[in-house]
Amino acid sequence: MSWKQELEEKLIREKLSENLGGKERVKKQHDAGRYTIRERINILTDESSFHEIGKISGSATYDENNDLVNFTGSNFIFGNAKIDGRNIVVGGDDFTLRGGSADASIREKHLKCEQMALSLQLPLIRIVEGSGGGGSVKTIETTGRANVPEVEGWNLVVESMGTIPRVALGLGSVAGLGAAHLACSHYSVIVKEKSAVFVAGPPVVEQIGQKLTKNELGGYEIQLKSGAVDAAVDSEEEAFNSAKKFLSYLPNSVYQLTEQLSTEDNPNRTSEWLIDAIPRDIKSVYKIRPIIEELVDKNTFFEIGKEYGKSIVTGFCRINGWSIALMASDPYSYGGCWTSDTCKKVQKFVDLAETFHLPVIYLVDCPGFQVGLDAEKKGTIKEGVRAMSAIWQTTTPWLSIIMRNCFGVAGAAHKRGSSYISRCAWPSARWGSLPLEGGIEAAYRSDIENSNDPKAELEKITTRLNKLRSPLRSAETFLIEEIIDPRNTRKIMCEFADLAAPLRKIGITSRTMRP
Amino acid sequence: MIYSEVSGTLIKILVSKNQIIEEDTDLLVIECMKMHIPITAKKRGKIIDIFIKEGDVISEGDKLLEVVYDF
Repeated sequence: MSWKQELEEKLIREKLSENLGGKERVKKQHDAGRYTIRERINILTDESSFHEIGKISGSATYDENNDLVNFTGSNFIFGNAKIDGRNIVVGGDDFTLRGGSADASIREKHLKCEQMALSLQLPLIRIVEGSGGGGSVKTIETTGRANVPEVEGWNLVVESMGTIPRVALGLGSVAGLGAAHLACSHYSVIVKEKSAVFVAGPPVVEQIGQKLTKNELGGYEIQLKSGAVDAAVDSEEEAFNSAKKFLSYLPNSVYQLTEQLSTEDNPNRTSEWLIDAIPRDIKSVYKIRPIIEELVDKNTFFEIGKEYGKSIVTGFCRINGWSIALMASDPYSYGGCWTSDTCKKVQKFVDLAETFHLPVIYLVDCPGFQVGLDAEKKGTIKEGVRAMSAIWQTTTPWLSIIMRNCFGVAGAAHKRGSSYISRCAWPSARWGSLPLEGGIEAAYRSDIENSNDPKAELEKITTRLNKLRSPLRSAETFLIEEIIDPRNTRKIMCEFADLAAPLRKIGITSRTMRP
Repeated sequence: MIYSEVSGTLIKILVSKNQIIEEDTDLLVIECMKMHIPITAKKRGKIIDIFIKEGDVISEGDKLLEVVYDF
């Protein structure tokens, strides 16, 4: 007696679950320019590598003889798979079934997916489309009672933020708990014009007097600037590639370290143009991204959060093949001053580096915190001290290269107190508690006012003080360890990456990362 | 539409109405945190309207220029 019949019945259910929400709904999904969840997983993962868990969990109907009449799968699909030969866990909403809402799902599947990634210590990619929460308003009628809100399993999400890489892809309209899953990640991506993210969508928001389209409420331009989402791309394929690229810089979990990749880029490569990269005119700005691209292993810079807190550029890169977390000031945004958003970006990025044991390189040009009424209204100093605390709490190896400005409290946050970091400066570096510009008039007011020629006196004092602030004078008293030739910066960075690699330690950090 | 991403004082307008602009062209210069920060074109386009004048104090999010990209 064989068990073939049972297996055949199982196959029938599996086949039916592949119908998703039915031909009409699948067509609607395609007509809107979006893939179904099964197509998404197929494109994202290596061919035939997806091992689905709970494929025949869903909703079955039977006739009076208890024979199967129909079967519809759950609208959350998950399992393990490989991307670029590496094991991961992937889970995603099926929007063709009740719009991905949790009331067509089986809650335990979400929990098991989270548990699986956490327990197997594998990166988790969540594909979000829909609300994925406690159901719709209609749920009260279908269940006959109101729901006390809870987010079961959130403890797993919180724990995994400090344990495994979490990537979230928002590939349509994402609201409520779905939006929470997108935001609760180390890296999130949406698709321009096709994705929108919000706590509640336009029909709900209209009730408070705001008549907005999906894009106006939570389109990519809104959510990139708000920092709720890290990147927006033009297609789902690009979103999958972004997820893969992001993960390529990280270990599978905090219990592993990233390996050195072979690189054809010479660690001793010099860059002639860097001697002129910083303008002598201190009011002139320069583009930081070409400098970054010049210094890192060729074509390895992967920027994260480009449109948010723009005074700091953050991203991963390879330096002599090692995975490194790189921060760099961008003078095009507030001259490189740390805004409130910049501070929040720094907190998250530094925590990310610390969590996954990536050494940090910081290219510094920070004239201080943003000043003025706007800055005060946004609580810049509060976010500033939180960013500083995040830096002070790091233990990962750290290299700061001061390229130009380094002033005030925000400038001081290029290092963590008195603990050891590697540090050097370019000859264009300038530092102090306050920039001289604008400060001389106040500090030398009586000298200037009592002079027969106040303008000449101001110039005389400025020239005198400018000579004193040469970085070489600071180096003479060892206030700065080393002034380097900018053309040799890559060599310094590669040496640091080699020295830092054996110092990295596996394990959970004492203060685990929050999203 | 091009909005200001920083607050400061508009010190230079480098373009005029109906001008075709190329990617990476400097359009305006805003003095912000004692630095002169150019606003550059992200792609090729044509200036339709200019909403500010030199000397104006600009806030983050202010409308600066109307630009069309398909013309």
